[in-house]
Amino acid sequence: MAPDRSRQPEVVIPQNVGIMNAELYGSPAGVRIYSLRAAGYGVVRVSFVFRAGSAWQTVPFCASATANNLSEGSRNMTAVQIAERLDYYGSYFDVSIDRDWSVVTFVCLTRFFDDTMALAKEILLEPAFPEDELRVYCDKSRQNLAINRTKVDFVARELFGRSIYGASHPYGVSSPESAYDTLSRDDVRGFYGKFYTAANCFVVVSGDVDDKKLETLARFVGELPTGAAVADVRFPEPAGVARAEEEFPKAVQSAIRVGRVLFPRGHADFIGMQVVAMALGGYFGSRLVRTLREEHGYTYGAYSAMVNFDRSGYIAMATEVGAQFTDAALEDIMAEVEKLRREEMPAEELALVKNIMAGEVMRIMDGPFGVADVTIENLQNGFDNGYITSFIEQVRGITPQRVRELARRYLAPEDLTTVVVGARR
Amino acid sequence: MITYSEHKLSNGLRVVANRDRLSALAAVNMLYCVGARNENPSRTGFAHLFEHLMFRGTRRIPDFDLPVQRACGENNAFTNNDYTDYYITLPKDNIETAFWLESDRMTGLDITEEKLETEKSVVIEEYNQRYLNQPYGEQWLLLRALAYEVHNYRWPTIGLTPEHVREATLDDVRAFYRRYYEPSNAILSVSADLDPEEVFALAEKWFGGLESSPAPVDTLAAEPEQRQARRLEVERDVPAVQITIAFHMGDRLSRDYYCGDVMSDLLAGGTSARMYNELVRRRRLFSGVNAYITGDVDPGLFVMNGQLMPGVEIASGEEAMWGELERLANEPVSAEELEKIRNKFEANMLYGELNVMNKALNLGYYAMLGDLELVNSELDAYRSVGASDIMETAGRLFRRENSSTLVIRGGRD
Repeated sequence: MAPDRSRQPEVVIPQNVGIMNAELYGSPAGVRIYSLRAAGYGVVRVSFVFRAGSAWQTVPFCASATANNLSEGSRNMTAVQIAERLDYYGSYFDVSIDRDWSVVTFVCLTRFFDDTMALAKEILLEPAFPEDELRVYCDKSRQNLAINRTKVDFVARELFGRSIYGASHPYGVSSPESAYDTLSRDDVRGFYGKFYTAANCFVVVSGDVDDKKLETLARFVGELPTGAAVADVRFPEPAGVARAEEEFPKAVQSAIRVGRVLFPRGHADFIGMQVVAMALGGYFGSRLVRTLREEHGYTYGAYSAMVNFDRSGYIAMATEVGAQFTDAALEDIMAEVEKLRREEMPAEELALVKNIMAGEVMRIMDGPFGVADVTIENLQNGFDNGYITSFIEQVRGITPQRVRELARRYLAPEDLTTVVVGARR
Repeated sequence: MITYSEHKLSNGLRVVANRDRLSALAAVNMLYCVGARNENPSRTGFAHLFEHLMFRGTRRIPDFDLPVQRACGENNAFTNNDYTDYYITLPKDNIETAFWLESDRMTGLDITEEKLETEKSVVIEEYNQRYLNQPYGEQWLLLRALAYEVHNYRWPTIGLTPEHVREATLDDVRAFYRRYYEPSNAILSVSADLDPEEVFALAEKWFGGLESSPAPVDTLAAEPEQRQARRLEVERDVPAVQITIAFHMGDRLSRDYYCGDVMSDLLAGGTSARMYNELVRRRRLFSGVNAYITGDVDPGLFVMNGQLMPGVEIASGEEAMWGELERLANEPVSAEELEKIRNKFEANMLYGELNVMNKALNLGYYAMLGDLELVNSELDAYRSVGASDIMETAGRLFRRENSSTLVIRGGRD
């Protein structure tokens, strides 16, 4: 039978996205252990989440150096021995760090769970931070940072942070490469002692989880030092500037960032602004992509997103355009923002944005580990996984009037910061 | 272990289906057996430009992305030297949208002069962003041209120069489409919670009526054996010296592929690997090191590279790299180190089977190689690599006269 090619086959819009709630297994020493059981994959993932991001450091690069040197030698093992063992079991070990949090993740074959957790214990409870390994780390990090600072997009990202929050704000600061040279072992040990504590940690386990594994895990997590409550860091009011530029004389492209400080995820308008950001530059065919890429060919890509921190958040639009198109692209970006504030978004476009956002949630959660990532982010923000259901409901409830109202309130041109890094114009 | 079933339509389209009972999503992957290798040497970068054009609409469906997004889906594509791959993930219930779209653009592509011009600019900006405006971004342009003299692998997917992209015409587009975008030159692979028979029925429904000519056959000149060491040193605006050494090796289905992959892991697979331990951690010569194989279908390259720490002489860096290669050729790998590599391959293979997207992608790839069973048996091939295989392969590949060395360094100050 010949198919009907004249119209799109019928589509079903998923009304809710099924997500299991994480089960609280226990709180040894006050560390909450959450489990997400997904049997049958033959792999287990354990993530240890510490409130130990770079906003808590008083010495530049101290938070990332601490996180990245946890596995570089312990009381009982050298860095080489730890690396050898992890690789021998085929266990994946990763440390990620942002302004607020550090997340230490292990993924292993089910049969190597106990062995991997024995290493996790060395790494998290007994790190020795040997001077030699720390110096190697600092030297190579310094050089990698120098290499990254020859890229216009990297420099624009740093400059944007300083320009919306202020150069000394914990969410905006960037430090000179030379600060790696003075970072000391005592700085790192001090940071570890203060922030890698039971009071500052939660754990999310997913995949092939059973009671026996949870017991093993609980036993060692219970040994984390209790730690004293951490005194709050001082968070000054953001002090932004309207415009900042940096010249890269030989660059063939300019990196552009436009945006402003907004609010954390818990704010009543956060999800609404996620819809706004998505419509502007969150998907292929979004307004910025259509204008800058598909109509003019100024760029390979253009993006926009809401980014959330623990106590703040911002919206950013970002692109890299041919140097000769820089001014034209800046005008187009502002024109798209202006249009969003002036005209109601067509219902069809808004429906599309909503479908994309629902689909995105489904894709993030495909496989046994995606739901762990979502769970971690929810817990960091003080939510359980019911947040996903309410997220989908809130997105679905947004109207074209509401989009315009949000754009008018939060995207006034005079409130936006523009950053350009590239050739002189 | 990925279970799969195969089916071939009468027009030559190959279909592979995997049933994933746990996912709510469907992944639909369409692979065309055409890549930069099939390009005219004066129109390099064309296969990749063409991939961009496949999203610019057909006579019937003017916007490709919109229907995917309406169906809560996401799509993208990539081109490499050997093939071009298009993929869509969407809720399983909406899978038919993917069949409708892919079958439509296999025959009805509608490219105007204007669309071509815009897409050329986009690709030139991609060239700028990824190759010219990045430190060491030219590495692959320079290295391929150095290592290959004859074979079409001598240019990267993005093309030899933006000029080639700029010069592409509508006639080029039509001829390329007609020759390579045929059912007989394509592989459709699907992973979803669907009975393979249902997938095959959908394939028959949407693709069965498309006409096809036999798959095109391009005969490529083989690269002659390299007989002399090659070397290129360039000055660029970079903060650290980067040294890259490449060696010719066997093709994707040869024993070299597995031995080469194991050797690259011994050298640079993680922080317990030899290069990291010796050259970064212990001797502090480099800030970062890497080793890998290109894994091309035709005979490919074994590549190692690293960025020197400030003040380290280029010659000392190179000597240290060669030291690691010679050690592979002269000292048998211990059973323990080999077991480590095998465990890693096993784990990585399993980690790669966790979602529908990866499975659909893998099935398409192995079908393209012509040996679907490899998707599950490849681990045995890795397990069979022994200490003596490694010494033999290292001794044969890592010779000066089989090497191409590229040094990218900053200007003298």
